[in-house]
Amino acid sequence: MRIFKKDPDFKFMNKRWIAFGISGLVMIAGIFTFYTKGFNLGVDFTGGTMVEVSFRENFSVGELRSSLQDIGLGKSQITRVGKDENKFFIKTIQSLEKNESQEEGMDISRHEEITIMMRKQFMTEEEELHISAGKIDLNNSSLKKITDFIASGNISLDDAVESAGKIDLLKKGTSTGLIPGFENIESLGLKKRVMTLLREKTYFGNFTFLSVDFVGSQVGYKLRQQTTLATIWALMGMLVYIGFRFRLIFGLAAVITLAHDIFIALSFILFFNVEFSLSVVAAILTIVGYSLNDTIVIFDRVRDNLKGMRRNNAEDILDKSVNQTLSRTIVTSGTTLATVLSLFFLGGEVIHAFSFTLIVGVITGTYSSIFQSCAWLKIWEKQFLGKKIK
Amino acid sequence: MNNTNMWKIGLIVLVIGSSILMLYPPDKKINLGLDLKGGMHLVLEVQADKAIEIQTEQSIEQLKTLLKESSIKYESVRRLGTNKIEIYGISLDNERMVKDILDDEFKDYEYVFAGTQTTLTLIPNVEMRMRDLSIDQAIETIRNRVDEFGVSNAAIQKIGLGGGDKILVQLPGVDDPGRVKGLIKNTAMLEFRAVVSGPFSTEEDAIKDQGGILPDGMKVFKTNPRRMDKGYYVLKSSTVISGKDLKSAKRGQDSYGAPAVSFTLNSQGASKIRKFSSANIGKRMAVVLDERIETAPTINDVLSYDNIITGSYTIEEVNDMALVLRSGALPAPLKYLEERTIGPSLGADSIRKGIYASIIGLILVMVFMLFFYRGAGINSVIALIFNLIILMGVMAYFEATLTVPGIAGIILTIGMSVDANVLVFEKIKEDLRAGKAPRSAIDSGFKKAFVTVFDANLTTIIAAVFLFQFGTGPIQGFSVTLMIGIIASMFTAIFVSRVIFDLVYSGKRKIKKISI
Repeated sequence: MRIFKKDPDFKFMNKRWIAFGISGLVMIAGIFTFYTKGFNLGVDFTGGTMVEVSFRENFSVGELRSSLQDIGLGKSQITRVGKDENKFFIKTIQSLEKNESQEEGMDISRHEEITIMMRKQFMTEEEELHISAGKIDLNNSSLKKITDFIASGNISLDDAVESAGKIDLLKKGTSTGLIPGFENIESLGLKKRVMTLLREKTYFGNFTFLSVDFVGSQVGYKLRQQTTLATIWALMGMLVYIGFRFRLIFGLAAVITLAHDIFIALSFILFFNVEFSLSVVAAILTIVGYSLNDTIVIFDRVRDNLKGMRRNNAEDILDKSVNQTLSRTIVTSGTTLATVLSLFFLGGEVIHAFSFTLIVGVITGTYSSIFQSCAWLKIWEKQFLGKKIK
Repeated sequence: MNNTNMWKIGLIVLVIGSSILMLYPPDKKINLGLDLKGGMHLVLEVQADKAIEIQTEQSIEQLKTLLKESSIKYESVRRLGTNKIEIYGISLDNERMVKDILDDEFKDYEYVFAGTQTTLTLIPNVEMRMRDLSIDQAIETIRNRVDEFGVSNAAIQKIGLGGGDKILVQLPGVDDPGRVKGLIKNTAMLEFRAVVSGPFSTEEDAIKDQGGILPDGMKVFKTNPRRMDKGYYVLKSSTVISGKDLKSAKRGQDSYGAPAVSFTLNSQGASKIRKFSSANIGKRMAVVLDERIETAPTINDVLSYDNIITGSYTIEEVNDMALVLRSGALPAPLKYLEERTIGPSLGADSIRKGIYASIIGLILVMVFMLFFYRGAGINSVIALIFNLIILMGVMAYFEATLTVPGIAGIILTIGMSVDANVLVFEKIKEDLRAGKAPRSAIDSGFKKAFVTVFDANLTTIIAAVFLFQFGTGPIQGFSVTLMIGIIASMFTAIFVSRVIFDLVYSGKRKIKKISI
């Protein structure tokens, strides 16, 4: 089978200024978005709130995730503690929907807001009724709150402190941090009046927050610095190798093309407000590998044609090389795009950001190896046609 | 079938066979990441007080030296609590000079003069910063160690805001959790100190040897009973070299071939040890690790950059010790507060989706290749399956950790690796159209495409090597997968695929048409 009936003969080099223009516009828009909106950094980068929550009922991680989705926290990292327990660690991102401040660290109000929202979300209707009746949740209240509450019910402070202390101890003694019901506190030997007050004015909630903490960024300053440095070294290494196998301007053109791809991918991540996580960084590096491969294949053909063709017109040589490799470019991009699209549409929320970046990358990589890499050789026409090539 | 084909087939069988062997049994050989399988959830506390204490001790040493240099007499300089220094017995005549020293060199401290007693207190803001710094440094060190041990995909985070002193470490299931926990916690404070006297069987004996009271500038240390005879030594409290002077450490061996820790000093450390050892030949020097003496050899020669520490080490101990020395000392001891097992961070549903999408992606590529290249498509599908087996086998060998994005990455590598096949096939088609005979078209197709594939892949490998060399954690893991993927795809698309072509068309004397 063939993609083109006849050998294709598109004049790509003619259009180079249009291509430069489009890429330039995308990048400018990208820079603009960066300064106005900034990246939607994920929990890997910003840190956030980590809570440990214990439920009375049996939940799966999936169910918990869809419940959190309703309050915009669907991308939280949720892990079950132990094997069969109904305790979970939930690590949430710094911010909810709005994303105004991208400063590191997290302000306390946000932190509280997140736990309050979770509380509301996890509450059953029955519990809501209790709350509207002015009752307090013994499972979800601090020792101090319970003490104050009992004391406010016309009971001496000493008794309040003692009773609340016993309840707290009972709570801590359970593996779940939850007291099932009043039967369980009967045996504590609390004063009758206290028991009556509790039965009247309190209830036992279905869940409790065992701990609430801030967690910092997973990507420290050093990691960031090192990754940037590693990327720069990698680009330098490629420049040298391509310079050695081809010629220096080929290396230069390839490195510019790769930098172009990284910037375009970052721009699209900004436009679509895609959550920037460590896996997105991996996706961007993958793009670099992919686009590099594409570029070298075309450069290889250019190198061949430089030997065979009359070296007076750079545009002809470059156009011919791109055209000759065009069906290969389309086939490879097609297969890669097919895998990436399947990851995007079928892979679920977790690899969404990753596969989105890859889709952008594959398309950009293909576009740039056709319209950018050779166009840069055309720009440096003199050097390109200059010396004889091995 | 001729002989060349025989050895080629033999090689392919060998490579595929050993890959399967490395993979089998898959549930034991493939480590699943935190998202797929869960792992350990550890909370560590950095004992930042100790870091402040160490800082204060260093300031005391510095202060004593400065006082001596300016020939200011004093009775004692000692640490009060964690962050205070008390200078006692300075005559009022020298007050001005002491003030100058403190103003110039001890800007981090506030000081109060009260007669002959001067008290320095670490400024609260500075102390706060030091505490923060010690936690950041601890996180960095833990990350280095975990990375070096080969646990990829670990999450290491600070818990708490500002003054928080806890660190959360989440590790995917590892074979030997005890060993990893030990590695993380190991303070790894290495010091070389001059031996004053020893060994003694008890601490009292050691002090008695110095006349009942330990003179200023000396300290009693215990030996590590696992390395040498149990006992006590009196050592100088100032160090010859410390962990900061270390450049690298690795496993080595002593002159009898027993495992030993071999380490290289930086130029500063080398000049210090050279000076010290040349002046102290015949005397003893102690290697102190985490306040315990590892060994106390006699100095026979002038020491310089490269040195070894001997003792009765096992290979595993040497490896671990070299690793912790390399990754740097922790600024303060750590304490485990919590240790729990956690389940996978992805629900069964998310895992299923990720794997499902990856398989569909793979099938799409195969169907496309079969449809587009017909007979040759079968060839590339076989190459692709082989590629997957080799990739998984080598990853199992390197004990790589598999995560959902990792699986997606592998599938993508596979999707990209058909590129080599495509290049060859397109080249063959081009030559066929140009009127070449089928056999020579295959020949020249492979030959020409090889140069292209080689250049493209080698460039990518170079990039991956740099990423590996200069990157950390996740980046290193990524570059390893990338390299393995490229090498495997070169092998399958160029070598295996060629052998298949040869086998298919070797029987016939004349090939009329190639299905491509």
